[in-house]
Amino acid sequence: MRTRLWLQAALELLLGLYLLETLITGEISFYIAERFNWLAVLAGVILLVMGSVSVITLLTEAPADPQLAPRTVTLNANLMGHTHQPARWLMLVVLAIPLALGILVPARPLGASAIGQSGITTSLTVAAGDTNTFSIAPEQRNVLDWVRAFSATTNPEEFSGQPADLIGFVYRDARFDEASEFMVARFTVSCCTADAIALGVIVNTENAREWSQDAWVRVRGRFQTRQFDGKVTPVLVAESIEPTAMPDRPYLFP
Amino acid sequence: MAHRRDTIAPIIQCERAVRVDISTQLSLFSTRFLGIFIEAVSFLLLGTLVSGLIEVFIRKEDVARMMPKNPFAAIVAGSFLGFLFPVCECGVVPVTRRLYQKGLPVAVGVAFLLAAPVMNPIVLASTYAAFGFGPVLVGRYVVTLIMALAVGFLFTLSRGPQQLLSVNALSTVGGAAGSLTPAPRIALIPGLMQAIRLASGEFFDMGRYLVFGTALAAGLQTFVAQEALRSVATQPVLSVVAMASLAFLLSVCSTTDAILALSFANPVNGFTTGSIITFLSFGPMVDIKSTLMYLGVFKPKIVLYMVILPFLMSILIGVFLNLNVRF
Repeated sequence: MRTRLWLQAALELLLGLYLLETLITGEISFYIAERFNWLAVLAGVILLVMGSVSVITLLTEAPADPQLAPRTVTLNANLMGHTHQPARWLMLVVLAIPLALGILVPARPLGASAIGQSGITTSLTVAAGDTNTFSIAPEQRNVLDWVRAFSATTNPEEFSGQPADLIGFVYRDARFDEASEFMVARFTVSCCTADAIALGVIVNTENAREWSQDAWVRVRGRFQTRQFDGKVTPVLVAESIEPTAMPDRPYLFP
Repeated sequence: MAHRRDTIAPIIQCERAVRVDISTQLSLFSTRFLGIFIEAVSFLLLGTLVSGLIEVFIRKEDVARMMPKNPFAAIVAGSFLGFLFPVCECGVVPVTRRLYQKGLPVAVGVAFLLAAPVMNPIVLASTYAAFGFGPVLVGRYVVTLIMALAVGFLFTLSRGPQQLLSVNALSTVGGAAGSLTPAPRIALIPGLMQAIRLASGEFFDMGRYLVFGTALAAGLQTFVAQEALRSVATQPVLSVVAMASLAFLLSVCSTTDAILALSFANPVNGFTTGSIITFLSFGPMVDIKSTLMYLGVFKPKIVLYMVILPFLMSILIGVFLNLNVRF
């Protein structure tokens, strides 16, 4: 019984430390949108406080009498584990799963392999296009801004000749001509990875084969309208492509 | 040539999708799992902390006395009581039982029990974090209120508490001897320690449902072909029934269910908005865990009503929304 209480305390402390560690290393940006980082701080702190209180309780209480305020115990005794009983073994094992995944599986943000069959979009229908994006200078727009701009108009010619400077990962599937096309893609995340949506801008270059799936690249060029997958769409004709490090924040936040 | 490429494209893509190796899949699963878990766990922790504080510091007899005398006004007040008493679905049952012991009318307690897990500032915050201010948030609150009020009013037609409540929830018989006398006030520091200990126990109790639910949501996105899921997700009726059943089975805490629902609402899966609203309003009222807990308060026949009425109502409303409202 005391073993389980100790394990419970240890799990709380470790989970709390893990959360704070992801915040310090910046790994948190693989998981949730930046504006919710404070929630992870809060969760980390609460877990550390809970763990500390559990440890203090274990150290100060006589082993023979681990029960506290009898009022609560009698009130809840027959309501399924809502007492100050130690967590059951199953609960301890289950709550260790997130910790194990966090520590044992190398942290990686969602990338090209996370995009399923119909999983990438070049135009937004749900969140719809956004004309605000036109107030951003073309060279300053990111992948999301461009996709919004494309969705806000029915005339793809509008973008012909406009310059762009984009960072993203390389994505291609069977629709792409491997010799000359790929997509510079990003995931957008508004809350956490559960709502991640992949967006991309089609790139045209003579040596597309040089750039492997999932590699982070910076593409500079100008838009032209081309046929892609049976539709006329703006395509970024590359003037330069260079490899680049994955940004600190791999996702874009709408 | 172009034509031929079009026709073979889907086949090649399927092959490509399958070819993602195990370690990549595990890494994808882990990223999706931790995203949902980290976002949700803070709301769960806040929820357990608040219910621990309420358990220790708020005297239930004061609340029972504050309720309006008019039965209809009392039911309406009962539905909103959650904002004063931010308990999620697991915390609400012991609180309701204690309110019954203090003489709260059965119908008011039912309205409180059904509405409180959603009528809760932390749940409001997590729903807002996940969906922003829009049809899902508004729908969740309106539908929950409609269902809680309707079932509450239905219970005003019923007989006295002796026929409805299980023995240990009746004030005349009394569960524990100590619960009849007003609880003694507790000092601040020991009270805080006790609240944190209660919260910690509840975190482990509720956390396992969150882990299971998160694993399911992340697993569906990672291991199941999106096309198979979409064939259910986009049906106006089937999607609602599926999400209502899922809500019952998953038993995930109302403070975190919005974050989970997000992965089903993701356009990649494309569950209908009506089905998401059903998931978010029915789930907090009734699931495996709360059904078991209801049996500690109500007679079995009454529990059956409390499960079936919200189930049918929430499905009807969800289907109605899907067929008649453009979101």
